[in-house]
Amino acid sequence: MSKGYLCLVLHSHLPFVRHPEHEDFLEEDWLYEAITETYVPLIWMMDGLLRDKVDFRLTMSLTPTLTAMLQDRLLQDRYIKHISGLIELSHKEVERTRWEPQFQKLAIMYLNTFCRARDTFEYYHRDLVNAFRNFQNAGKLEIITCGATHGFFPMMDVVKQSVKAQVKVAVASYEKAFGCKPRGIWLPECGYNPNDDEILREAGIRYFFTDAHGVLHGTPRPKYGVFAPVYCKSGVACFGRDLESSKQVWSSIEGYPGDYYYREFYRDIGFDLDYDYIKDYIHPDGIRINTGIKYYRITGSSDKQPYEPDIAREKAAEHAGNFMFNRQQQVEYLHGIMHKKPLIVSPYDAELYGHWWYEGPMWLDFLMRKVYHDQKSIRMITPSEYLNENPRNQVVTPSMSSWGWKGYSEMWVQGCNDWIYRHLHAASDQMTELSSRHHDSHGIKRRALNQALRELLLAQSSDWAFIMGTGTHVSYAVKRTKEHLLRFGRLYEEIKSNNIDEQWLAEIEQADNIFPEIDYRVHA
Amino acid sequence: MAILRKIKSGVKKMISGSRKSVTAKRAVSSSAGKKNAQKKTKPTADRTAKRAELKQPEQAAKKEFLGVSETAVGRMKFSTPEAVRSASRSMPTELPAAYGRDRLVINPRDPYWIFSYWEVTPGTYDTLRGRLGDDFYKAKKVLRIYDVSNIVFNSHNAHKYFDIEVGPDALNWYIHVQEAGRSWCVDLGLRLPNGEFITILRSNVISTPLDGPSRITDEEWMVPEELFARLYGMGFGFGQSSPVGKTWQERIRRELFSGILSSPGLSSSGSPVKVPQRGKKRKFWMVVNTELILYGATEPDAKVTVQGVPVKLRPDGTFSLRFSLPDGTQVLPVRGVSADGEEERTVTPVVSRETK
Repeated sequence: MSKGYLCLVLHSHLPFVRHPEHEDFLEEDWLYEAITETYVPLIWMMDGLLRDKVDFRLTMSLTPTLTAMLQDRLLQDRYIKHISGLIELSHKEVERTRWEPQFQKLAIMYLNTFCRARDTFEYYHRDLVNAFRNFQNAGKLEIITCGATHGFFPMMDVVKQSVKAQVKVAVASYEKAFGCKPRGIWLPECGYNPNDDEILREAGIRYFFTDAHGVLHGTPRPKYGVFAPVYCKSGVACFGRDLESSKQVWSSIEGYPGDYYYREFYRDIGFDLDYDYIKDYIHPDGIRINTGIKYYRITGSSDKQPYEPDIAREKAAEHAGNFMFNRQQQVEYLHGIMHKKPLIVSPYDAELYGHWWYEGPMWLDFLMRKVYHDQKSIRMITPSEYLNENPRNQVVTPSMSSWGWKGYSEMWVQGCNDWIYRHLHAASDQMTELSSRHHDSHGIKRRALNQALRELLLAQSSDWAFIMGTGTHVSYAVKRTKEHLLRFGRLYEEIKSNNIDEQWLAEIEQADNIFPEIDYRVHA
Repeated sequence: MAILRKIKSGVKKMISGSRKSVTAKRAVSSSAGKKNAQKKTKPTADRTAKRAELKQPEQAAKKEFLGVSETAVGRMKFSTPEAVRSASRSMPTELPAAYGRDRLVINPRDPYWIFSYWEVTPGTYDTLRGRLGDDFYKAKKVLRIYDVSNIVFNSHNAHKYFDIEVGPDALNWYIHVQEAGRSWCVDLGLRLPNGEFITILRSNVISTPLDGPSRITDEEWMVPEELFARLYGMGFGFGQSSPVGKTWQERIRRELFSGILSSPGLSSSGSPVKVPQRGKKRKFWMVVNTELILYGATEPDAKVTVQGVPVKLRPDGTFSLRFSLPDGTQVLPVRGVSADGEEERTVTPVVSRETK
């Protein structure tokens, strides 16, 4: 008999980056890297667990933008080109390192991994959404949705119509991709603004998550802290994040990814090797980029030592055991004071696993197996399973919060990015005006209205403000924000004056082709 | 603030530490140039906003406990260097400076700060100028912040209000409020020399979040304070030994805000925001490696092996191999056999490397 539950949540998200107009577009690499290093390894992990009949539970958001990119033909074909380039490079590496067996071993490992990644990608007909859908249908994975383009809801307080559109477009896109309605949502950046749960309820969503203080600072005080979900007045459940388990994966003292035997992220042959040799595998303009081939371990000093996969694997197993042990302790202690089974909710950025923390998927794999085979006190669960088994929960209005820097909205509203809101809000109001004036429209006007909503949603991605806030890739984030807003503005004028430039409309429909079935009337 | 800067400089160092080729260097510096250019094109409102931010007291600096790792990992997703590309579009490149609509918007940023922005149309100013005459030019532009918690605000029933004088050209402002968990409404107005306040614009009403647990405990569910305190402490990751007693609320808050939970991973070499040692300790550095290129040609249909390993020939019969060359001696027998197997040649270069 278990004494408590563990709910692991992976939030997978990338902003919509698709540039048919360029042959080789650097920012598209974000997707290709995440496919090779995170999404495909997670698929391997779940395949293996199913094969070995390990009963596991995992909750994962696949944001509508990420889903759209994974299902986009152009990007799928470009990924094949990308991974084939890596395979070619690793063949060369196997040869180049012939006299250095410690590196050749790794070159062979990469060659095998890349070939296998390409095979897996082809196996699912280049559409990895197929894989995740299978795991959901098998009852092991619960896929949740997110804001349509990851718009940050707490900064849409004055334009709730946009929150509605973000949610409704997301739900429609989820239904199309997964064949059912989403039960839960990962609020973009975990950003909760009181009353947004009403919008979730209207869309048929049963639960969402907040950071710990979202629940702990809720009103009235939550009896069980973050160790049981609460209901908002709307009846939508809110699950609070447990920071202790988060810290174990992140923190400098207990954090696992910093182990000296784990792979070093920053030593990549894209930067380390001779330019003439590597130039075909980095950006055509000569900009050095990460290739994904990395030969060193963290080491703990500047004299980096070669990576040793077998030792790293042992470490991942050890760390998984440690994580499980700590959850067991936590659950037993909490069970003693709560007199009911506590729920530990541990959400992470999916891209942490594999992309940043190379051994992360392996760690997860060990954890799932250990929890299944080696102990009885904790049980893995998904939020909707939990709610079905524990329908009675306290009613609490969570506090406005996010999981970003400082816990509120500052990451997305500070000196370097706050200028966007006057434009975003103005565009939202214009969109509301358009949809109320044109209840019913046909042909080209309808297309223009739908495209206007696409452009607005794309401009709202929290990623642009985030990137401006972090100071890298700023020009791209600024360009994207402006470009979508300018396209929106032109569409607005053309629709109002009933003078739509069809050729231009077709061009931007092609460029920003996300959400083909969008209905502009949801922005009301 | 300090921590974010630390991350930023860490990342910069990381970039400069791994930069080696001249080409890459050029790319990085020109993207920095673009960044500056972009700054210039931003609306003037920015400058005022920045000024307002500088005025923020230590309040913000204290609350570095959340989201640092999330920020760092979020950044890792976007870890590719920036490309240099020119914007070639027939579209306008600047957003409208104004929308022709009188508007004052406020949005909570955190329990103690409200972000506000506004637009006042020239027509509205003209009307005021006509009405006030000379006073218009002597008036100060101020934000009046009303505490409207739990009331329907009718201009006269606010619990309290305070004014902030804003510059004549400001278009946005960060407003500091003393109390968390309240509702606020803001007027942008003119304060005349005689003290009279004239409203130009009124904002929407917002509520800021609490910065601690609610004082309201559910009537239906009694929450024993001590139990809640322990749960509260554990929720923030203090673990079983969490020493929460009578003054738990202050204490937990103090711990939270003093950095016990803050900046996970900042100083560790294993954190997502690691600074490479090489860049950190010394500015100057040099790395030298050697590679060996072996090349040759034979009949296009011949079979060639190097150290016993088959080599793929190009259509013209040439071949080249590239090896990482460690210290020591490498013996490289290159053996070619004609397509019919009748003839063969073996050439054996011997290469040795010694690093002194």
